[in-house]
Amino acid sequence: MLEYQIFLDYWPMILLGFWLTLKIVLCAIALGIPLGLFLALGRRSNYLAVSFLATSFIELFRNTPFIIQVFLFYYVLPFYGLRLSAEYVGILALAAFGGAYFAEIIRAGIDAIPKGQLESARAIGMTDWQSMKNIILPQTVKIVIPPLTNQTLTLIKESAILSTITVHELTMTGLMVQGETFRPFEVFIMVALLYWALNETIATIMRRIEKSYNRNRKQSNKDKYTIDITKSSGLFR
Amino acid sequence: MTPPFLEILEINKRFGDINALKNVSLNVSIGEVICIIGPSGCGKSTLLRTINWLTPPDSGKIILQGDIIGSVTGKLTIKQNRLLNNFRARIGMVFQQFNVWPHLNVLENVIKAQVVVGKKNSEEAKIKAIKMLNEVGLKDKFDEWPDNLSGGQKQRLAIARSLAMDPILMLLDEPTSALDPELIGEVLTVLRNLVKEGMTMLIVTHELGFASNFADKIVFMDAGEIIETGAPREILKFPKTDRLKHFLDKLSITSF
Ligand SMILES: Nc1ncnc2c1ncn2[C@@H]1O[C@H](COP(=O)(O)OP(=O)(O)OP(=O)(O)O)[C@@H](O)[C@H]1O
Ligand SMILES: [Mg+2]
Repeated sequence: MLEYQIFLDYWPMILLGFWLTLKIVLCAIALGIPLGLFLALGRRSNYLAVSFLATSFIELFRNTPFIIQVFLFYYVLPFYGLRLSAEYVGILALAAFGGAYFAEIIRAGIDAIPKGQLESARAIGMTDWQSMKNIILPQTVKIVIPPLTNQTLTLIKESAILSTITVHELTMTGLMVQGETFRPFEVFIMVALLYWALNETIATIMRRIEKSYNRNRKQSNKDKYTIDITKSSGLFR
Repeated sequence: MTPPFLEILEINKRFGDINALKNVSLNVSIGEVICIIGPSGCGKSTLLRTINWLTPPDSGKIILQGDIIGSVTGKLTIKQNRLLNNFRARIGMVFQQFNVWPHLNVLENVIKAQVVVGKKNSEEAKIKAIKMLNEVGLKDKFDEWPDNLSGGQKQRLAIARSLAMDPILMLLDEPTSALDPELIGEVLTVLRNLVKEGMTMLIVTHELGFASNFADKIVFMDAGEIIETGAPREILKFPKTDRLKHFLDKLSITSF
């Protein structure tokens, strides 16, 4: 039988954990998307050193478990004199992890724009960066919104791992409440519902944004460019 | 003797094993209209693209009004890059696939580069854009999205976008090849007006009718080389080489 009293007694505490999860995730996205853009452009750079560094970063964070990355951030940064609270470490780790994936999505989005678009921009005298900013990226935005949304939802779910470094986010709070009450079912139902609600809200908002974007642009070529992120992306392409 | 307006000097370009351009040289005087013809894969597009350094040649020089475009040796310095963008702004390029910008409406397509590259204020750029769109016959399409235009209209938009930069030279790579036959005429009409206005143009085309009527010179290329150059009549009626004869036979030029 469900013990409803648990819901009534503990929802303020659980909500506090949820609030922290929300703050951490929003910060991580706010850092991660610019980082992803930066890495995606870095990877395409003509300067070998820049593209090597960007590629290494991306591949490192995409090909190791997130929990290990979190441990490395948490235990290794202090060795280099960087003493941050667990919350900040969590934000950094999530941003780096998310950034690596965002970068690949943005890169695939850029690659999906026909080559002639960049050529016509360059031919009319735009610099590489002017062409990116005025011609390529505006077209990329529309096609990367759905995959970026997916990745954001993944990021929210992965944030649960921050409980392992004592961040009092939603999962950690759940674990603590369950330790006090020994009622895992009630507790984790609350936790799961909150993750679900958050993800559903974000997915809905992003769908709205995508729709309004398409309406504003009135473009009929909605499905014309598709992304292929399965395309080889190793260090040694 | 004054140097030619545009000097293409001993250009070589390889793509792996393919010798796309072999020591190609060509002089263009101001106001001259040159049509380039030749079989598929002979290097016509590559030649046009080396002129504005979209495809940097392996060796050779492109000289416009006495200034070298790009660099003679490999990588561009920052200063050369700035100079190159400067040249590109004044060399219009029109592509077979139009390459209009689908996220901008018709008017914005023509305004954008004027503002970004030409540093004009948007009011000035808009006035110019309206003027150019009128010239190519798109005055009732300002707010339209490129995706809703026909091929001929897209190409005319692409031409207007180039003309708004006040180019001193236009490079056109098969501007009508991607168009349905009934739409070719409207683009050729725009080009004809440009010829009348005295624009210097290099046009890769299969429209021999247009070439014979409006070109000052026809250049025939084959396998990365310029084989024959001459007045349209000479080239089309009295080809000297077998290669050109063969090419013209295949095109069956009965239509003019
Ligand atoms: N980026 C590239 N990479 C490799 N090979 C290329 C590239 N661009 C052109 N080539 C090759 O160079 C040769 C010349 O190509 P180019 O496009 O200049 O020919 P073209 O005369 O314009 O042909 P078409 O009439 O079909 O447009 C061809 O053999 C082509 O395959
Ligand atoms: Mg070609």
